[in-house]
Amino acid sequence: MISKQPYWNPVLETMPGEKLRALQLKKFKSIFTWAYQNSKFHRSLYDQAGVTPSDIRTFEDIRRVPKVEKSMMRPIQCKDPFPYGDALCVPLEEVSNFRQTSGTTGQAIYQADTWQDWEWWAECWSFILWAQGYRPADRVFIPFGYNIFVAFWAGHYAAEKIGCEVVPGGVLDTQARILKIQELRATAMMGTPTYILGMADAARSKLGIAPETLGIRRITCAGEPGASIPATKKRMEEAWNAKVFDHAGATEIGAWSFECVDQPGGLHVNQGLFLVEIEDIETGEIIEEPGRRGKMVITALDRMAMPCVRFDSKDVIEWDAHQCSCGRTFRLIRGGVVGRVDDITKVKGVLLAPVAIEEVVRGINGLGSEYEVVVDKRGDSESIMLKVEVMPGSEGRVKEIEAQLRYQLRLKTNLGYDIEFHDYGNLPRYEVKARRFKDLRKKA
Amino acid sequence: MTTRVDIEKLDEKIRQLKQAALELNEMGNEFPAVKRNTARVLASIRMMEINVCDVAGLAVD
Repeated sequence: MISKQPYWNPVLETMPGEKLRALQLKKFKSIFTWAYQNSKFHRSLYDQAGVTPSDIRTFEDIRRVPKVEKSMMRPIQCKDPFPYGDALCVPLEEVSNFRQTSGTTGQAIYQADTWQDWEWWAECWSFILWAQGYRPADRVFIPFGYNIFVAFWAGHYAAEKIGCEVVPGGVLDTQARILKIQELRATAMMGTPTYILGMADAARSKLGIAPETLGIRRITCAGEPGASIPATKKRMEEAWNAKVFDHAGATEIGAWSFECVDQPGGLHVNQGLFLVEIEDIETGEIIEEPGRRGKMVITALDRMAMPCVRFDSKDVIEWDAHQCSCGRTFRLIRGGVVGRVDDITKVKGVLLAPVAIEEVVRGINGLGSEYEVVVDKRGDSESIMLKVEVMPGSEGRVKEIEAQLRYQLRLKTNLGYDIEFHDYGNLPRYEVKARRFKDLRKKA
Repeated sequence: MTTRVDIEKLDEKIRQLKQAALELNEMGNEFPAVKRNTARVLASIRMMEINVCDVAGLAVD
């Protein structure tokens, strides 16, 4: 029975590491040649660096290929053909799908995909969903406002591809979505961690429905790192009585990693479809050994319309030392994407990753899932304000909660905070990418 | 886990399928329904190439 097969691709996912590397080198040469021959932008970049396809013979040669940064894509898109610019490798009439980045880190980037690329997106997600236990018998509810962002479009198409029944939640509001899940007895769904937690709250507070009774067995998260943050994952799993899985991807890259059913505390890199390199942020040295954090440089090995070749993603990751018990040979990155180079900031002389604050807040009983961090500077003095919500029924424990919060924050981030307690429901709610970290020093 | 997959045979069948789809696509130049549907079929075949044909030479010792 195909449903009992644990791997979407039993050959590729169990291939020995050295063979995977040989495959990656072969495919890198191929996509590099394609980009060199078909994209004016890429050819000019590589010619300036003096690297041509015939120079790529070994893994070390790959490192001579210049990286592409998002900031380089913006000026390209002022050029022809409109609206994608000269990184487009196919005639405009072969483009079948428009998507754009969220613009969280600046001006949005437009992304062209051919139908083959779109099949490829669904293929990337098929690896993810199969590894997370989705099977043809599942009824998958997608509570996502289908729009210009790629987010769960590819999850939808992949669920169809692997044989699931898909229910598009589309323009339904949160309460209508919950009622539809109940009515149809959906077994799985996908969403951002923020929205998954918000749905659970809405089910309880607005509809009087216990989300853990709805029969959702598995949830796939994207868009934020929450499903790899243990305290956030635990909250979601308890709220829905479901297994919650993370994956990481991006509009300009593809869906490049996934957590499997064994939940090994990290994400498998899909090394059959992507080449992930980790680069030391200070020195640029490539990190092969586990336990050292660096930024990800990634190549999508089969994406054609707008190739992603050595893209400097700014995601901070590290290799895991362990092999997963699931039997996949795809390497693990420990703890998922732990932050972005741009997010990790120095406050009062200490390096701070905002995910560490989330791990503390969501690990404390009596606090709501929402929070906000405001970093500010007055004169020479920097301050961090943390705003949190107290859960109904925990108002009498505020002093105890505050003591626990201060202790954990000091322990995990090595910083002192001003803390503001709010009534439950007073802080902003988000449906897509949450913006809970505000650095007012930059505005000043 | 031991994989009991005859990858060479899969590879061969996919190549035959691709050849047939390419011929149909060429024949559909005056027939949009054939041209566009075979274009989609070819995109799906490419996914099988990624999963099987690109791997075939490496998977067999």
